[in-house]
Amino acid sequence: MEIAVLIKPVPEAETRLRARTDGTQLDAEGVKFVLAGYDESAIEQALLLREATPGSKVRALAFGPAPRTEEVLRAALALGVDEVTWVESPAEGADDPGVVARALAFALARVPHELLLGGKQAGDDEEGLVTAAIAESLGIADFGSVVNLRVDSASGSLTFQRATEEGVESWTAPLPCAIALQQAWNDPRTAKLPNILKSRKMPIAKIPWAEVSAALGEAARPRSVAERFELPPARTGAKMIEYKSPEEAAETIVRLLREEAKVFP
Amino acid sequence: MPDFSLTPEQESLRDLARKFARTEMAPHAAECDKAGRFPEEIYRRGWELGLMNLNVPTEYGGSGLSVMDQCLIVEELAQGCGGMTTSIIANCLALEPIILGGTAEQRAQWLTPFCAEYHLASFCLTEPGGGSDAGALKTRARKEGDHYVLDGEKCFITNAPHASLYTVFATIDPQLGHKGITAFIVPRDTPGVAPGKDEDKMGHRASSTSTVHFEGVRVPVANRLGAEGEGFLMAMRTLDQTRTPIGALATGIGQAALDHAAKYALGRRSFGKPIAEHQAIQIKLANMVQSIRAARLLTWQAAVTIDRGERGSLESAIAKCYASDAAMHVADDAIQIFGGYGYMKEYPVEKLLRDAKLTQIYEGANEIQRIVISKELLRAYA
Ligand SMILES: Cc1cc2nc3c(=O)[nH]c(=O)nc-3n(C[C@H](O)[C@H](O)[C@H](O)COP(=O)(O)OP(=O)(O)OC[C@H]3O[C@@H](n4cnc5c(N)ncnc54)[C@H](O)[C@@H]3O)c2cc1C
Repeated sequence: MEIAVLIKPVPEAETRLRARTDGTQLDAEGVKFVLAGYDESAIEQALLLREATPGSKVRALAFGPAPRTEEVLRAALALGVDEVTWVESPAEGADDPGVVARALAFALARVPHELLLGGKQAGDDEEGLVTAAIAESLGIADFGSVVNLRVDSASGSLTFQRATEEGVESWTAPLPCAIALQQAWNDPRTAKLPNILKSRKMPIAKIPWAEVSAALGEAARPRSVAERFELPPARTGAKMIEYKSPEEAAETIVRLLREEAKVFP
Repeated sequence: MPDFSLTPEQESLRDLARKFARTEMAPHAAECDKAGRFPEEIYRRGWELGLMNLNVPTEYGGSGLSVMDQCLIVEELAQGCGGMTTSIIANCLALEPIILGGTAEQRAQWLTPFCAEYHLASFCLTEPGGGSDAGALKTRARKEGDHYVLDGEKCFITNAPHASLYTVFATIDPQLGHKGITAFIVPRDTPGVAPGKDEDKMGHRASSTSTVHFEGVRVPVANRLGAEGEGFLMAMRTLDQTRTPIGALATGIGQAALDHAAKYALGRRSFGKPIAEHQAIQIKLANMVQSIRAARLLTWQAAVTIDRGERGSLESAIAKCYASDAAMHVADDAIQIFGGYGYMKEYPVEKLLRDAKLTQIYEGANEIQRIVISKELLRAYA
C-alpha cells in the first residue's frame, strides 16, 4: 500500500507565544516548531499499516517555510517514514487552508497515495480542513474522526470505526481514500537516537513555491486573510481560601462558585 | 564556539533525552529513590532508544557521539533522575578503556555486543584502600603462561551487581607504583569474580553500587588492554573523556533544582505576596541561575576542547569541579526556598541535594580536581 501522511510544523506546547508587532499573526521568531501529537498519531498509524502490509511505503508531505518544515520532515524520517516531500510556502498568505490544500494536492501528483492520512486537525489552529479539501480536489472519498484503522488483507480494503455523538459507526472503504484520524488512540513511538542521526543525512524532495504558484495560477492566491491575532487574556490570580477542615473548604468553594463565579444557580 | 547555538541535530538529540527524562525517568525517580530500586526496565528502554553507549564508535554499532553531544544528553537525563543517569552513563565509563586502548579485534569483540543487546559494564578502579591515589592500588595480576591471575577487591563500583563485563585495573608489581598498573577485560562469568551486595547510599539510589571480589580469576592474555604498565595512563585518559559529562550531570541536577524553586517561589505566599516578590528570594534565584549557566558553559568549553582532539584535563577538571559545587549550592538554595517543605521527602528538592553530593566525590574528588587545576595554573606562572 502506498501511504501518504500529511504533517504540519506547529509551535511546541510549552513555547511562550506572542503576536507579531503588526498584530496580524503569531510571531514565529524564536518559536520552536515540532510535530504535533495528531500528526505523530497519523505517522504511527501509517507505520503500523506498513508493518501489517509488506511491501508498503510511507511518505510524508508538509507545506511550510524553512527551517521548521524541514525539521518536522526530518522528525518523520527519524520515526521511520520512507521518503518526505517539502512543499515550500510563500512568505505571506501561507495560512489560508485552501492554498495549503491546493499546494499539497499539486504535490501529491508526484507522491503515490492510495491512502492519504492526516491528523484530525492541526495541532495549532485546529481547523481540520486540509485533509478533506485535498480529498475533494483529488476526487477521493474522505472520512474524519477515524479510529481502529486496519487493512483487510483478503480484499485490500480498509476497515475502521468513527466515534460520533450518537454511537460508533463501523466502515469498510476501498482505496484510494483520505482519512483524518482521531488523536492518539495508538501510542506513537519515539525516534531512536541512531535514526535521528541517520535522518539528518536523508534527502528531502523539495517543491519550491515558485513552481507551485506557477502551476496553480489564480488558485495559488489566498481567499482569506487573517486580520488580527491576539493571545488569550492573561489569567488572573487564583483565589486562596483559608480553612480548618475539608468540610469547611468544600462549603467555602461551593459558596464562591454560587455567589462569585455564578456557575451554580 | 564561541557561537553558543546548537545545530538542529543537537537539538533533536537533546529533545529525545528530554522526552525520555520527563516521560520515563522522572515519574519513577521518587519511588526508586525511596526503595533504592534499580529500575532495569528503564535502563533497557534507554538502551533501546540509543541513550546508552553514547561514546562507542558507529563501526561497532554505537552512536559515536562527540563529548559535546553526550553532555547535551546527560544534562537532560540528569533532570529526570541523577541516579538513573549515573547508571545509564556507566557503560560509557566502563567501555572507554576498550575504545581508547583496545586493538581492532578487542574492540570488535567486546564493544559490538553492547550495542547489539542490552548489557551493563562496570569500570573497576577504586579499592577499599583508596580511590584518589589510584597509582597505589593493590589488586594483583600475576602472569601464568598465557593467562593472568587476578586477586583483589574493588569497591564503590557502579552497576557491578548487574554488569556482564568489568574493565579492571590491577598491578603486575606494587613496587612499580603507577607504572605497574595494567588494564584487563573480565567477563562477569569468569570463575572467581564475585560482586558484593548493593550498598545503601545517601543519593543516586536508583543506581547500584557494590564491591567486586577477584579471587584466582584467570584472564587470557588476549584480554589485556594495551601493554603491561599502560593501565594507569589508560584510566586517566578514560576519566579525561568522562569527567566532562559528569559536569553536565551536575548541571542537570542544578537546573532541576532551579526549576522547582522558581515555580514554588511564584506560588508560595508569605506576608501577603508570593515569596518570589521578596528580594531575598529573588537574589537567591539570580545567584542560582548564574551558577548553572556558568557550569553549563564551562562544561561545553571542556567538551569542545576535547572534541578538538586535545586532552582537556584542565578544562574538564574545572568543569566537573565547578558544576558539582554549583549543583550543591543550588540544591541547597532550592531547599531553603521551599522552607520546611524542602526538608520533607514528599517534595523533590532534598533528593537533589543528596544526588548533587556524589558529583563532588566520584570520577575524581573535587580536591583532586583542584590539585590538577592549580598544578596547571602554577606551571603557567613558573
Ligand atoms: C556512588 C559511587 C559510585 C562510584 N562509582 C565508581 C565506579 O564505577 N568505578 C570506580 O572505580 N569508582 C567508583 N566510585 C569511587 C569514587 O571514584 C571514589 O570514591 C573517589 O575517587 C574517592 O576515592 P575514596 O572514596 O577512596 O576517597 P579517598 O581517596 O580516601 O579520599 C578521601 C578524601 O580525601 C581527599 N584527598 C585524597 N587525596 C588527597 C590529596 N592528595 N589532597 C587533598 N585531598 C585529598 C579526597 O578528595 C576525599 O575528600 C564511586 C563512588 C561512589 C560513592
